[in-house]
Amino acid sequence: MTAGAWLCLLAPLAGALSITLLGTTISRRTAAWISTLSVFTAFGGALAAFIGLLGRDPEEREVVTSAWTWLATPNFKVDLSLLVDPLSVTMMLIVSGVGGLIVLYSIGYMDGDPEERRYFAYMSLFVFSMLLLVQAGNFLLLLAGWGLVGLASYLLIGFWHERPAAIAAAKKAFVLNAFGDATMALAFFVLMWQTGSLNFQISFQGAGTLSQTAVNLVALGLLGGAVAKSAQIPLHTWLPDAMEGPTPVSALIHAATMVTAGVYLIVRAHPIFELAPRIHDLAAGLGAITLLVAGLVALVQTDIKRVIAYSTMSQIGYMFLGAGLGAYGNAMFHLMTHAFFKALLFMAAGLVIHQLAGEQDIRQMGGLRRVMPKTFIAFLIGSLALVGIPPLSGFFSKDAILASALASGGYGQILFVAGLVGALLTGLYTFRLFFVVFLGEPSPLVLEHEGGAHASEEDASRPHGETVHHGEGPWTMTWPVAVLAVLAVVGGWLQVAGVWHPFGEWLDPIAFGREHLALVEPTVTQDYVTSALAVGLGLVGMGIAWLLYGARRRPVPRNAAVQDTLEHKFWFDELYDLIFYKPAVLATRALRRGVEKPLIGGSISGLTLGARETAGAVGEAQTGYLRSYALAIALAVAVIIVVFVSVQ
Amino acid sequence: MQGPEIAWYLVVSALLFSIGTAGVLLRRSPLIVLLSLEIMLNAANLALISFARLHGDHDGQIFALAVMAVAASEVVVGLGLIVAIARRRLDLDVDRLRVLRG
Amino acid sequence: MGDFLVWAVWILAAAGCLGSGLAVITFTNPFYSALALISNLGSLAVLFLLASAEFLAAAQVLVYAGAVMVMFLFVIAYLGDRSEGVRLSGGPSWVRIGAVVAATALLVEVVVVIGMAAGDRLSDPAQVRGSFGSPEEIGRLFLTDHLLAFEITSIVLLVAAVGGVVLGSRSRAEDELDEAEAARAGA
Repeated sequence: MTAGAWLCLLAPLAGALSITLLGTTISRRTAAWISTLSVFTAFGGALAAFIGLLGRDPEEREVVTSAWTWLATPNFKVDLSLLVDPLSVTMMLIVSGVGGLIVLYSIGYMDGDPEERRYFAYMSLFVFSMLLLVQAGNFLLLLAGWGLVGLASYLLIGFWHERPAAIAAAKKAFVLNAFGDATMALAFFVLMWQTGSLNFQISFQGAGTLSQTAVNLVALGLLGGAVAKSAQIPLHTWLPDAMEGPTPVSALIHAATMVTAGVYLIVRAHPIFELAPRIHDLAAGLGAITLLVAGLVALVQTDIKRVIAYSTMSQIGYMFLGAGLGAYGNAMFHLMTHAFFKALLFMAAGLVIHQLAGEQDIRQMGGLRRVMPKTFIAFLIGSLALVGIPPLSGFFSKDAILASALASGGYGQILFVAGLVGALLTGLYTFRLFFVVFLGEPSPLVLEHEGGAHASEEDASRPHGETVHHGEGPWTMTWPVAVLAVLAVVGGWLQVAGVWHPFGEWLDPIAFGREHLALVEPTVTQDYVTSALAVGLGLVGMGIAWLLYGARRRPVPRNAAVQDTLEHKFWFDELYDLIFYKPAVLATRALRRGVEKPLIGGSISGLTLGARETAGAVGEAQTGYLRSYALAIALAVAVIIVVFVSVQ
Repeated sequence: MQGPEIAWYLVVSALLFSIGTAGVLLRRSPLIVLLSLEIMLNAANLALISFARLHGDHDGQIFALAVMAVAASEVVVGLGLIVAIARRRLDLDVDRLRVLRG
Repeated sequence: MGDFLVWAVWILAAAGCLGSGLAVITFTNPFYSALALISNLGSLAVLFLLASAEFLAAAQVLVYAGAVMVMFLFVIAYLGDRSEGVRLSGGPSWVRIGAVVAATALLVEVVVVIGMAAGDRLSDPAQVRGSFGSPEEIGRLFLTDHLLAFEITSIVLLVAAVGGVVLGSRSRAEDELDEAEAARAGA
C-alpha cells in the first residue's frame, strides 16, 4: 500500500524527467504518451493505496512512510515522509484520475504545437507537485509541493511565451501565489518555534499549548496561502488572467486540482483552525464573499473560458464556506464533484475552441448545437451539475454545504443566504453561457467551421494545433469528456444527505481527537429545505437566462454603472495597481534617479573621469623639456638632502 | 699636510658643482650642457680626492678614476647624439627638442 | 716659506678653477667654452697634485684634457656655424629662477651637510707616505682589491665606443639630404 503511494508520487516525476532528458530524440507524440501513461500509473498507485486503506480498520487508516531524514538539527527534524490517510488518498485519486484524463485530452488538443514536449513535461511536473502536496507527511514537504505547484502553474500559464499577455498572466499568478507562500512560511515559522516540529500530529498537539495570538497568526498565515492558491478574495485577481494558458491547463490546474489545494490545506490543518475560531469564520466569510463577487462578474464575461474561471472561483468559495464552518467532509465532497463537472466544462469548451480554430469570444458563437451535438450534451451535463440540479453530482455536494451553513448558528445562516443567492447567480451565468454558445441560429463563424476542424493556417494570436479530423475532435479528446460526463452524473451518488454517508464516514479518521470529522450535522429537515431552496433558485436563474439569452424574449437590462463595475471585476485590479504597483514603480524610479544613477553609476563614471583627469594632470609633467626634467632632479636632490640631514 | 685644509678643497668642489648645475639648467645649447655636466663630474672627483687624502685611503682615488672613465664614455655618447641631431638638420636647442612630450 | 708657496699655488689654482667654470657656462661661443673647460681641467689637475693624487692629476690631463676635450673640439669644429646661434638662456622664467634656486640650494646644503657631519674631523688629515697617490699604489689596488671595478670600467668603455660608432654612422637618408644640399649649394 505504501508502495502504491510512492509509485503514485514518483511516476509523474519519472515521466517529466524522461521527457526532459530525452529531448528531441523522441517524437512529440511519444512525449505526450509518456506523460499520459505516467499519470495513469500514478492513478494505479493511488488505487492500490486506496484499496490498501480500505482493507484496514478505520482507526488504523493513517500510515506514515518515510524515505529518509531530510533535515536533522538538535531542535528540529524533518523526514521525507508521505502520509497515506483517507484525505490524502482521496486527493490522490482525484488528482491522478482527473489529471490523467486531462493529459490524455491534451494529446489531441496540443497536437501540432511545436513545443509539445515541453508542455507534457510541465504537465507531468505539475501532477507530481500536486501529489507531493497532498501526500506530504509534514508541513515542510507540503510547502515544497505548494511552491512547485506554483512554479508549474507559472510555466504552464506562460506556455505560449511569445504572447505578452500570457507572460504577464503567468507573472501575476506567481506574484500573488508568492504572497500566499510568504504568509504560509511565516505561519510555519511560528509553528516551528512554538511546537518544535512541522510534523502534522506533533504540531497539532503542540498547537493546543499555544497562546491564542500565536494560533491566530498561524491560522491566518495558512489562510493567506490558501486564499492565494485558491484564488479567493482578496488574492483572486490572477485566476481569470490565467486563462491565457492552454485549455487543458485551465481544466487541470485552475479547476480541478491546484486551486483546490487551499481547501485541502484547511481540511488538513483543521485542528489549528479550530483553535482559532475567528480565522475559521473568516475563511468561511471570504468564501461567501468570493462566491457572490465571482458570480456577479461572470454575468458580463464574454470569453468562454473566463466565465468558467469565475465559476470556479465561485464554487471554491462554496468549499471555503463549508470548510470554514467545519463541514470538512462536505467541502471535500464538493471538491470532488466540482473536479468532475468543472474539468468537463473546460474540456467541452476546449472542444468548442478547437472546432472554431481558436475563437473564444462567445459573441462570435451561436447555434453550435447543430454542429457539435455531442459537445452540446456534455456541456449541458456539466452546466446542470454546476447549477446543482438533481440527480447530478453538484446537487448533492453543494446542498450539503448549504445545509451545514444553515445548521451553524447565526453567522452560518447569513452565509447560507449568501450561498442561496450564489445558487441563483450560478444558474444565471452558467446558462447564459450555454444558451449563447449553443442555442439559436449558427453564427457566421460557426458556419465557417462547420465541416469539423480543418487544417487551416495557424491563427498567429492563438497558436493551436490543427489536424484534419472529422467529428468533434480526435478520440483522445472526446473520450475523456465522455468519461467525465458520466462521472459528473454519478459522482454525487456517493453521499446522499440524510440517507447514505460513505464519503463523510470515509474521512472521519482524520479528525483529530474527535469521533466525527464534521463540526456540524444538519438535520434532515434542514437538508430538505436547503435542497428545495437551492434547486428552486437555480431553476429561477436558469429561467431568467432563458428569457434573456435563450428565447431572446426580453432585452438584457443594462445599467451603466453596474455594467462598468462588473466588467472591471469590481475594480480589484485597478485597486491593486494603485496600492502596490504604482508606489513600487515610483519608488524604484526615485531610487534609480537618486541612488542608482548618481551614486552607483556615478561612482563608476566618477572613478573613470577622476582617473582620466589625474592622468591628464600628471601628464602635464611630461613637458619634453630637457631642462625642466633636469631642474626637477636638481630640486629633488636638494629636498632629499634636507630630509636626510634632518632625519640624522 | 701643507697648504689649506681639506675643508677648503671641499668648498671649491661645492662651488664648482653648483656652477655646473647652473650651467646645465640655464643653457640651451646641448654642447654647453655637456660641458657643464663635465664640470659637475669634476667637482665630484675633487671631493673624492680630498676625502681620500683626508682618510689616507686610496679608495677615493680609485673611485675618481672610474668616474673619469665613465665621464669619458658619457661624453662619447653625448657627442654622438649631438652629431646625429645636427645631421638631421635639427636645431641644436634643448628647448626645441620636445618630441618626447607626454 | 714652503707653506706659503703651497698656499699661493692653491689659491691660484682654485681661482682658475672657479673662474674657468664660470667662463664655461657664460660664453656664447661653444669653442670658447671648450677652451675654458680645458683650463678648468688644468687647474683641477694642480689641485689634485696638492692633494697627493699624482696619478690622477696626470690622468686628468692626459685623458680628460687630452682626449675628451679634443673630442669636444672636433665635434665643435665639425658643427661649425650650427653650433652657435642659440641664445644664452631662454625658456620659461620659472626654469631660470628655479635653476638659480636649485644651484644655490645645493651649494648651501653641501657645505652645511659636510660641515655638520664631519666638521671637526676635517681639520685632521691623515699622515701619508710619499708614495700616496703614486701610480704603483693605484695600479696595485686596481689589480687586487678593485679588480672588478677595473674590469667593469673597461666594459663600459667598450660599450661607449660601440655606441659612439653607431650614433655616428650615417644613414642613407642623411646621405641623400647631404647630396641635395650640396647640389643646391653648387647650383
